[in-house]
Amino acid sequence: MTVDDRLELPQGTLDLLILRVLSLEPHHGWAISERLHQVSRATLQIPQGSLYPALHRLERRGWINASWGASDNNRKAKYYELTKSGRKQLEAETQDWLKLTQAVALVLEM
Amino acid sequence: MFADLKYRVRVLFNRSTLEQELDDELRFHIEQETEKHIRNGMSAAEARRRALVAFGGMERIKDDVRDVRGLVWLDVARQDLRYALRGIRSAPGFTTAVVLTLGLGIGVNVAMFGIIDRLMVRPTTYLRDPTQVNRVYLNQMTRGKVRQIDGYEYTRYLDLERWTKSFDAFAPFANRTMAVGRGEEARERNVAAVGGRFFELFDARPALGRFILPAEDRTPRGADVAVLSHAFWETSYGSRPDVLGEQIHIGPSTFTIIGVAPKGFSGIVDEESPVAFIPITTHAAIERASNPSSYYTNYNWGWLEILVRRKPGVNVEAASADLTEAYRRSWDAERAMSRGMVAKEIALPRAIAGPVQVMRGPRAGKGAKVLTWISGVAVIVLIITCANVANLLLARALGRRREIAVRLALGASRGRLMAQLLAESLLLALLGGVAGLMLAVWGSALLRTALLPMGELPVAGFGDLRTLGFAGLMALVTGLLTGLAPLAHAGREDLVTSLKTGVREGSHRSSKTRNALLVFQGALSVVLLVCAGLFVRSLQNVRQMRLGFDVEPVLHISGNARGTPLKAVERASLFRRLEAEARAIPGVENAARSLTVPFRDTWSQGLFVPGIDSVRKLGSFTLQGGSPEFFRTAGTRIIRGRGITDEDRVGAERVAVVSEAMASTLWPRQNAIGQCMKMNADTTPCITVVGVAENMRQNSLIEDAQLHYYLPIEQFNPQEASLYVRTRGPAAQQAEAIRRRLQTLMPGSSYLNATPMSEIVGSRQRSWRMGATMFGAFGALALVLAALGLYSVIAYEVTQRRHEMGVRVALGADRTDIMRLVFGQALSFVVAGLVIGGAIALIAARWLGGLLFQVSPRDPFVYGVVGLLLLLVAVVASALPALRAARVNPIIALRFE
Repeated sequence: MTVDDRLELPQGTLDLLILRVLSLEPHHGWAISERLHQVSRATLQIPQGSLYPALHRLERRGWINASWGASDNNRKAKYYELTKSGRKQLEAETQDWLKLTQAVALVLEM
Repeated sequence: MFADLKYRVRVLFNRSTLEQELDDELRFHIEQETEKHIRNGMSAAEARRRALVAFGGMERIKDDVRDVRGLVWLDVARQDLRYALRGIRSAPGFTTAVVLTLGLGIGVNVAMFGIIDRLMVRPTTYLRDPTQVNRVYLNQMTRGKVRQIDGYEYTRYLDLERWTKSFDAFAPFANRTMAVGRGEEARERNVAAVGGRFFELFDARPALGRFILPAEDRTPRGADVAVLSHAFWETSYGSRPDVLGEQIHIGPSTFTIIGVAPKGFSGIVDEESPVAFIPITTHAAIERASNPSSYYTNYNWGWLEILVRRKPGVNVEAASADLTEAYRRSWDAERAMSRGMVAKEIALPRAIAGPVQVMRGPRAGKGAKVLTWISGVAVIVLIITCANVANLLLARALGRRREIAVRLALGASRGRLMAQLLAESLLLALLGGVAGLMLAVWGSALLRTALLPMGELPVAGFGDLRTLGFAGLMALVTGLLTGLAPLAHAGREDLVTSLKTGVREGSHRSSKTRNALLVFQGALSVVLLVCAGLFVRSLQNVRQMRLGFDVEPVLHISGNARGTPLKAVERASLFRRLEAEARAIPGVENAARSLTVPFRDTWSQGLFVPGIDSVRKLGSFTLQGGSPEFFRTAGTRIIRGRGITDEDRVGAERVAVVSEAMASTLWPRQNAIGQCMKMNADTTPCITVVGVAENMRQNSLIEDAQLHYYLPIEQFNPQEASLYVRTRGPAAQQAEAIRRRLQTLMPGSSYLNATPMSEIVGSRQRSWRMGATMFGAFGALALVLAALGLYSVIAYEVTQRRHEMGVRVALGADRTDIMRLVFGQALSFVVAGLVIGGAIALIAARWLGGLLFQVSPRDPFVYGVVGLLLLLVAVVASALPALRAARVNPIIALRFE
């Protein structure tokens, strides 16, 4: 995939993606970035740095918790995990996203 | 939400830790990404570069995270503050000038606020429901004008209470001056006579004992109980807890102390705080001991004030109407007693439920007007101060034009730039506010002694919250006002022009507004200083005027029998003894008995002169009695003939000494000595004139007929005497010591009052003294501000024209030429100010003329002195910049941009 083929992320969906990634297990910032890159098969264009303001915003909202731990290669890293309210938020936002995409698909098929 | 709060708290207190963590986190990310690329086969340098590119701008991401964290404005504010502090420290001269200027302007206003607050705004301490409490004001029409009545009858109070229905509490009260204490300790003090329900109007609890009960205040005479004020209890009783039950002498009676008022409680105080509170009916009964029931049955004695509390729901208009109705009924009741009284349809008696503070009510009088006028002047001074400081700040902003332009070009938002400039102004204003507060506390003492010499006002201290609040508010307003000018300027900045223009071309734009402001300041200073000068000269003339007696070394002592009745013979011999005793006191040069004292009382009796059919048509003749040493003690000169001697006794020939004016009025072109005059009737034996004394002023400093004669006191009225004492050195200093010494001779509870003549005469000079002090103070203030303004403008001009100076020097100008240039500029400002100010002063002089004393409002001496003063100030203010300009090195100046 060349750089031009990658899609820009619509507004506000980065939060949803982060929450989803963290719903399986806690990660640190870089790991989240790698996962997103891998799983989306490199389709999504996410400047890596923009992850961090989003992470801090989620932390502030109380949907994820941060704690310092040791990484795989024994370096100090900041791990994020989903909180209970975060899980609920993920549910809600996922539902909203699916409803939205279904509605758009219906209109496009008309 | 709770999580958000926790987060914010963490952010607030752990800034540096969070910053470090963020740094670590991002660094970790870059390292991981770098290693990934290295594993894929890239070189270390290339891997790192890839990682950084993929990441995005590090600083921008950090800023975004900080934005998310919130509280960025705190950081920004701190940054601005630090920058402002640095700016202030780097220009100490500028800062001092600004802070001083602001301090003066704010300080004057804070001082005036303190006084006005106490007198007119602040509700009386401890008053319960202050919005419901009113003071009763009665007025009537006299000769077509509304006349406020000063002091009401007790009977009137009873009528009003009986015939109104709008009030749930009525409290008569009066502040009286009475002798408190016994023997040597006896002193005239302020005592409050209050109604039984007075204390119910206040939310105060006694510090000791209890307050006066309503049952203890009853006609015809209340209980002999007294409540001490807290301050009096502290100073005179050492805060002893066992004062309850002790007796205290107030006036001619003794009272039992039943309680002590809480700290700061002083009832309703108009001037001096009372030392004790006694029932009003007790006081009235004592005052009217000869006819005890009269004070509450007839309307002859008007002396008290009335405080009322409106029932809930009753507004002021309804209360006033109710009071007016009751007053009209009372008027009719009074008219039934005294036939000659005018009917209420003509006199139109009216009552108002008015403000508790006298200064705000219909009886405010001149005092309130003077205060309001002075605070108006203070506000004008503050406006000038703001203008001055705005000038200074603007000058500085102009000097930093290029710096601002560069910063704007580098991407700073205008909003941030403006916020930062504002921060500087606010910081300066804050410092100015602190300086102003300090100046106010020190300066308000000065203002008080000039404006309210009888009042005992508490000082506007640092601990006073309202004053502090006001000072803070002033500082804030001043900061905003003064900051506006450079802000407006920064907002309009044209980048390109500013960057391109150096100091070389046309940057020397003398702001017209700035110069006009400076000239206006100078003019105002001139006006105020001219007024001050005129008043000072008046005061000098008043002081130097020959009054016909000496002022500084003379003391007047009068006695008050205070219920210890003495027979006439006993009184006469008492004063003879006092005179002898006084002369024996070390420090006393001479002593003599007298009857009257100038400016306080005069004595007249019928005078007849053979050959003149009506002496009274020629004027009002007053007389004085004196013992043999009188003329030497008072310092009145004998011009012809002799004074009073020991031989002038009862049984000897009756003699008199007349004043020069009297001699020339009654016996023009003749020798007054040997002439005959008669007192009381045409048939009494002759009193021979044996001497002529110099003229004396005793009624007014301005005009006085001075028709006065002296009789030997032994021949006339030795029992009504008072004492003149002449001291070595100023009498005021020895007054108390002499009084104490003589007090020991006084029988019973009678006591003596000692008043230096300088105080008696001084009170007459008060209006000129007040004018001189007030105008002098404000004039000096305006002058200092103008000087500061002039200095700053000249200094700025010199800095801006440095390039031009360099060119001049290079072309051959020498130091004196440069200095002349600078001085010339300063002088042009001052001359303009002088001309305008002088013109205004000459025009305004018309209104001032009536207030002066033997000084023409166009007195050239005063104008000349003020002119010289201003020129001197101009030279001093521009000296430093002139020297700096003269020392300009042309090479540096030409190169410098």
